Amino acid sequence: MLGKGGKRKFDEHEDGLEGKVVSPTDGPSKVSYTLQRQTIFNISLMKLYNHRPLTEPSLQKTVLINNMLRRIQEELKQEGSLRPVFVTAAQPADPLGDSFREAQPAFSHLAAQPLLPAELVSTTPLEACLTPASLLEDDAFCTSQTVQHDGPTKLPPPALQPVKDSFSSALDEIEELCPAPTSAEAVAAAADAAADDAKDHPSESGVQRPEGVPESRAAEPKLMDSLPGNFEITTSTGFLTDLTLDDILFADIDTSMYDFDPCTSATGAASKMAPVSADELLKTLAPYSSQPVTPNQPFKMDLTELDHIMEVLVGS
Amino acid sequence: VLPAGFGNLMQDVLWCFSQVKGTIDIGVTEADIISTVEFNHTGELLATGDKGGRVVIFQREQESKQQPQRRGEYNVYSTFQSHEPEFDYLKSLEIEEKINKIRWLPQHNAAYFLLSTNDKTVKLWKVSERDKRPEGYNLKDEDGRLRDPSMITTLRVPVLRPMDLMVEATPRRVFANAHTYHINSISVNSDYETYMSADDLRINLWNFEITNQSFNIVDIKPANMEELTEVITAAEFHPHHCNTFVYSSSKGTIRLCDMRASALCDRHAKFFEEPEDPSNRSFFSEIISSISDVKFSHSGRFVMTRDYLTVKVWDLNMENRPMETYQVHDYLRSKLCSLYENDCIFDKFECVWNGSDSVIMTGSYNNFFRMFDRNTKRDVTLEASRENSKPRAILKPRKVCVGGKRRKDEISVDSLDFSKKILHTAWHPSENIIAVAATNNLYIFQDKVN
Repeated sequence: MLGKGGKRKFDEHEDGLEGKVVSPTDGPSKVSYTLQRQTIFNISLMKLYNHRPLTEPSLQKTVLINNMLRRIQEELKQEGSLRPVFVTAAQPADPLGDSFREAQPAFSHLAAQPLLPAELVSTTPLEACLTPASLLEDDAFCTSQTVQHDGPTKLPPPALQPVKDSFSSALDEIEELCPAPTSAEAVAAAADAAADDAKDHPSESGVQRPEGVPESRAAEPKLMDSLPGNFEITTSTGFLTDLTLDDILFADIDTSMYDFDPCTSATGAASKMAPVSADELLKTLAPYSSQPVTPNQPFKMDLTELDHIMEVLVGS
Repeated sequence: VLPAGFGNLMQDVLWCFSQVKGTIDIGVTEADIISTVEFNHTGELLATGDKGGRVVIFQREQESKQQPQRRGEYNVYSTFQSHEPEFDYLKSLEIEEKINKIRWLPQHNAAYFLLSTNDKTVKLWKVSERDKRPEGYNLKDEDGRLRDPSMITTLRVPVLRPMDLMVEATPRRVFANAHTYHINSISVNSDYETYMSADDLRINLWNFEITNQSFNIVDIKPANMEELTEVITAAEFHPHHCNTFVYSSSKGTIRLCDMRASALCDRHAKFFEEPEDPSNRSFFSEIISSISDVKFSHSGRFVMTRDYLTVKVWDLNMENRPMETYQVHDYLRSKLCSLYENDCIFDKFECVWNGSDSVIMTGSYNNFFRMFDRNTKRDVTLEASRENSKPRAILKPRKVCVGGKRRKDEISVDSLDFSKKILHTAWHPSENIIAVAATNNLYIFQDKVN
């Protein structure tokens, strides 16, 4: 009850706003839409995992928030699938628009021309785009935007960059990290990175509850872990079933990255992995371990130790 | 006092403060927050339930010739602890003792009966008066010890002697262990033998006499919980047809079901849904369409639903759109993101009909509540506050200024206090008396006596 409805001052979030990178070619409306969508996505995730632990959360609320997340995720997927086409630039608007209309995501009419912000006519000043949740409220954002198509007379600028927000960069990182996007920890790592980006993001600090920062920080690895591979929230069991600490601690970890080649055991007790993969590995292990891991330390596998453990397990 | 059946036009009614119950403390004890308000069928009794699991019943005093202007005030009649907090050991979660709903049974004898429910358990309470006490037993000593039977030589019949009035509340039935999810509604059937309880995914039908069994009449739980996208939000029996009931959903739909059609009413007889207005679509369209309350009119011809921003009246014969739509606080439409962030968008406002179904009422924020006259299409915003609490003071209409110049008595949207929400209101069945729950205070307003 406390703190709800209280007005938040714009000053609190100004520091975080400067950190946001906005492509100069972006129209303000597109960035605002993406910003709001991302804000709502973050808020929704926080809500699902920050509820009062004493009593059972309201199923209605959970379902509504889950539906919200699914809708946004659907949109992101559709936009993500179209980005490669867009990067080749100088393409006429219509094919993209057509493919969008075919896909018909939930908010298709809002996202009708999201990658062609130059076409969007909006009088909203840029400052209005860089606002926390409470100040995102504007009739232009929360209600449907009437996207004005200026038609073929207005072509997109030739070197139009795709919209880069921390979400897009997170998705890019997923692709870089692991070609098969089904690995859970790759997503977790990328999402973790996105979360780090998002921490600088004003919306992140804006949505922190009065309970304070530590709780939300603790919640982050928790919620990132529950995002399964493919970023497919629809297949997640985490939202609608009780998520306990056990689920996180004993979640299956993909050990393919540190399965050791028997041939390398000849080199000695310590088998060193290549630094690049070690860093990646440490990044993926970060959500699961409670101790901080310094990236510079090479990862060591002690075979004799493993043998010892096996003996104990087998009970010899 | 004008009977409420005739001439209840907005311009004729001036609402006056009558009473307020509850403390004036700045800090509100959470347990004192009122969570439900309900008049009984005659309006003689007014019951409230709170977050601490208590039920307080007020009784209207007899109107006296000496003080006609007091118009029958409501005084505390009985207070009892209905539900206690429990612990679900299997899930390691607390079960709140908060009273979600109270529903009265019609009166058959001197005693009053009501149903009260928390998230998991429904209880039938009997509230009865005792004003006589038997005296003159000779089987016991003064201090209650049984006397030696061999010492008793006569049989004396005890005599009933008057005593100070005592009102007792006793739990007569406990209907437990039938709901996996949180109970949001209970509704007494017009046959007065059965009632239903609805949780997020299921609706059960009970017989008042049988506590260890209930019939499941609606089940919308999917086989795979990950596919769950819609929950039941409210349910109510038709006031006259004991086979008919409605339930509302989180997607803004209402289903009317006929229990004669099949034992499990998963297939609706009627399906009410308004097509979405594309010009108003936003991220929050679904959430604000979620219905928080559904109420049949007294006549049984209409159903009223409350979603976050509007109240709608539906004709049972027209499924494709509501008959009437009333804007409760449309100025919040541009604030939905903030209201989502602070959870206010999930507030469950209730709505009520007046006795003649001509006026409907619902709550809002800043301790405002709204009334809509269905005939004249006029509406009014009133406030429940201690400042307007002089006896018989006429309530002044309030106005929220949406933008631009704010007039002297208006309040701007940004100044609204979202922690002061009026979720629960009740309207006397036949008179212009309303009860409005504002956090931990209960306000009673009446129309002006000439």
